[in-house]
Amino acid sequence: MSSLLSPARGTRLPRTASSAVERARLALVPVRVSRAPRAPFAALVLAILGAGVVGLLMFNTHMQQGAFYATSLQNRADALTAREQSLQMQLDQLRDPQHLAVAGRQLGMVAPATPAFVDLATGKILGKPTPAGPADGIRVTPLPAGLPSPLRPKPIIVRVLAPTTAATTTQTGTHTPTGTGHASTNTGTTRGRNGAATPAHGAHR
Amino acid sequence: MVLSLFGARLIQLQGLDPKAYAAKANAESLVTVPLPATRGQITDRNGVPLAETVAGMMIVADPLRTRPHAEDIARILADRLHLDYFDVLDGLMRQAPPGKPDIRFAYIARRVPATLATATVAAVTNAGFQGIETRPDPLRNYPAHDVAANLLGFLNSDGVPLAGLEQTFNRRLAGKDGTETYEVGGGNRIPLGENTETPPVNGRNLTLTIDRDVQFYAQRVLRTAVQGANAQSGAAIAMDTRTGEILALADYPTYDANDPGASPSNDRGSRALSDVYEPGSVEKVLTTSSLIDAGKVTPMTRIRVPSQLPVLNHTIHDYFQHGNLRLTMAGVIAKSSNIGTVLATRQFTHSQLWNYLDAFGIGHSADIGMPNQTRGVLPPVDTWSDLTQATVSFGQGLSVNALQMITAVNAVANGGELITPSLIMGSATTASGDLVGTAQATRRRVISAQAASLEARMMEGVTTQGLGTAPNAGIAGYRVAGKTGTAQEVGATCGCYDGSLDVSFSGFAPADNPRFTVYVVIKKPLHGGTGGGTAGPVFRKILNYLLQKYSVPPTDTPPANLPVFW
Repeated sequence: MSSLLSPARGTRLPRTASSAVERARLALVPVRVSRAPRAPFAALVLAILGAGVVGLLMFNTHMQQGAFYATSLQNRADALTAREQSLQMQLDQLRDPQHLAVAGRQLGMVAPATPAFVDLATGKILGKPTPAGPADGIRVTPLPAGLPSPLRPKPIIVRVLAPTTAATTTQTGTHTPTGTGHASTNTGTTRGRNGAATPAHGAHR
Repeated sequence: MVLSLFGARLIQLQGLDPKAYAAKANAESLVTVPLPATRGQITDRNGVPLAETVAGMMIVADPLRTRPHAEDIARILADRLHLDYFDVLDGLMRQAPPGKPDIRFAYIARRVPATLATATVAAVTNAGFQGIETRPDPLRNYPAHDVAANLLGFLNSDGVPLAGLEQTFNRRLAGKDGTETYEVGGGNRIPLGENTETPPVNGRNLTLTIDRDVQFYAQRVLRTAVQGANAQSGAAIAMDTRTGEILALADYPTYDANDPGASPSNDRGSRALSDVYEPGSVEKVLTTSSLIDAGKVTPMTRIRVPSQLPVLNHTIHDYFQHGNLRLTMAGVIAKSSNIGTVLATRQFTHSQLWNYLDAFGIGHSADIGMPNQTRGVLPPVDTWSDLTQATVSFGQGLSVNALQMITAVNAVANGGELITPSLIMGSATTASGDLVGTAQATRRRVISAQAASLEARMMEGVTTQGLGTAPNAGIAGYRVAGKTGTAQEVGATCGCYDGSLDVSFSGFAPADNPRFTVYVVIKKPLHGGTGGGTAGPVFRKILNYLLQKYSVPPTDTPPANLPVFW
């Protein structure tokens, strides 16, 4: 096929070759002096640099602000959590069966001795409704503890000779508020009587 | 020139000792904080917390800085924290002995709720004083104080569990602490700084079968009774008949779990699980139901009961004086006759009775997940004599703890099927690696349903007015099955009966369709006492409360009214 086409091409070939030769011939490139000003470029670079620095600074500052804010929010969250838990504890205290039982007692409530129900569907009473009496109550508070030993001094026993001294003792008792000088002489006896009274009071409780 | 200077510095920093510098830099800015795992809650069956961990704080002082203003600071602290003024003052003024370095740290208060702690320290700072600060101190709180304290246990000041469920299930409850390390500048975390975090694994919750309200009520009723009888101790257990779930397990004396140090250490365990004693006449329930199951007797079996009965070289008496009585089997239970029980039990060989008691769980420990559970003693059958069989038949010569006794009686209540008791909902692994809980509960038949039902009818006689030994344990309108027990206590030193008693009562209701089983034992009442008179009212009150709380109406069936005499 190329042989068929070759005569037609043969006429164009020399023209193409000559232009290629023309182009292939080296020539000195003329020196082109750039007339573009440098200042805008420098300014642009500086501007980009500046913008970068400022942007970075602002970004950093923003992050720092965020960190401050996060810290303060965290503190607030901690405080609120603590508060929630404190309130929860208060609620638990109020819901404590002991608290409710004491409050009920103060209102004069007693647990019934016999369970009885009203069937809401039929209106029938199940069980024998019986009013609760004082005997059905239980003690919900612990018995009062005795006084600690430092507050329970051993009774100081003062031996007194029967008739005359006993009279003075009773008299001092009544005179103490008025006659100070007289009382001071008899302090031993007075304190002895107080001491004896304290444990008796403790035992009574 | 300048570059070579930089180079020299670089070699100094990087070449000579880089690690020391890196550590120094880290110490300046890196902070490692522990992330404490939150300890799991212990809740009752309704999810009400019995033990919980809340954010607490400790308040500490630097005595070197607080000493000059100690009085003023102590007044603020003592007022706000309700502390003893002089204790606070001591802490604030603590001084090292001469020649030793100054003390810079003293505890003022521990386990203070966080809001109160920060407010107090703020008040001190606002008043112009320095040297008081807070530190985190997780606070284990027992909101109901002594309610279920004997079961829950407690933690010491370092958070180590020392008793009860806190100890057994520590691994489940504790979780695993984590840590977080981050860079800090001026008190704030540096963004994009170094940050590593190991998250904590929080402890898992533990749900009990206990009902807090029932537990509270049982504890108060028991306390009232033990104090009223001047007794040494007492225990009361309430159980759901059909599932074996323990609804309440009360012990007295008990303690406040928030302040365990205030009570003697023997009061901090559960006596219901650790103390063994002779069950006394409550055991007759097991003996007679076994006899019925074996076809040896019926409730109508006629027994001639003499005033006393010699067995080998001993003589057996009843607790009440009587001449010759003609009691039915039901009458033997209603009147709690030892002699009648011994005579009826003579139809059993030693091993027959032993096998039944063994099947009822006497001498076997039922692990419910509490430390120090005992297993009691059922003497081996080859050591038995006729006297042993006689005394065992009415509850002497064998020992149990309160939980074993209620489990055995509950088998009668539950139609003859014994259910192992449980305290934990679902299942949980104990410290020794055993799985316990309701999911692990097993059932096995001990006596026939027929025998159980007949036994329940006989036990109704005990609470019937004019018939039984404990008419005041009955509840008007309900059919209540019960049995009294009075056993002599073996003395600690002599190994013989020392004259003191254990009185007990066990039973269930409604007798023909039982829902709850309750067992009460009161140890060593000062002036004696009887199962019916001392323990019976405790039983009735707890049972009454349960029937009411769980809305169990009376069954509306005629009472058994079995004949007592013939």
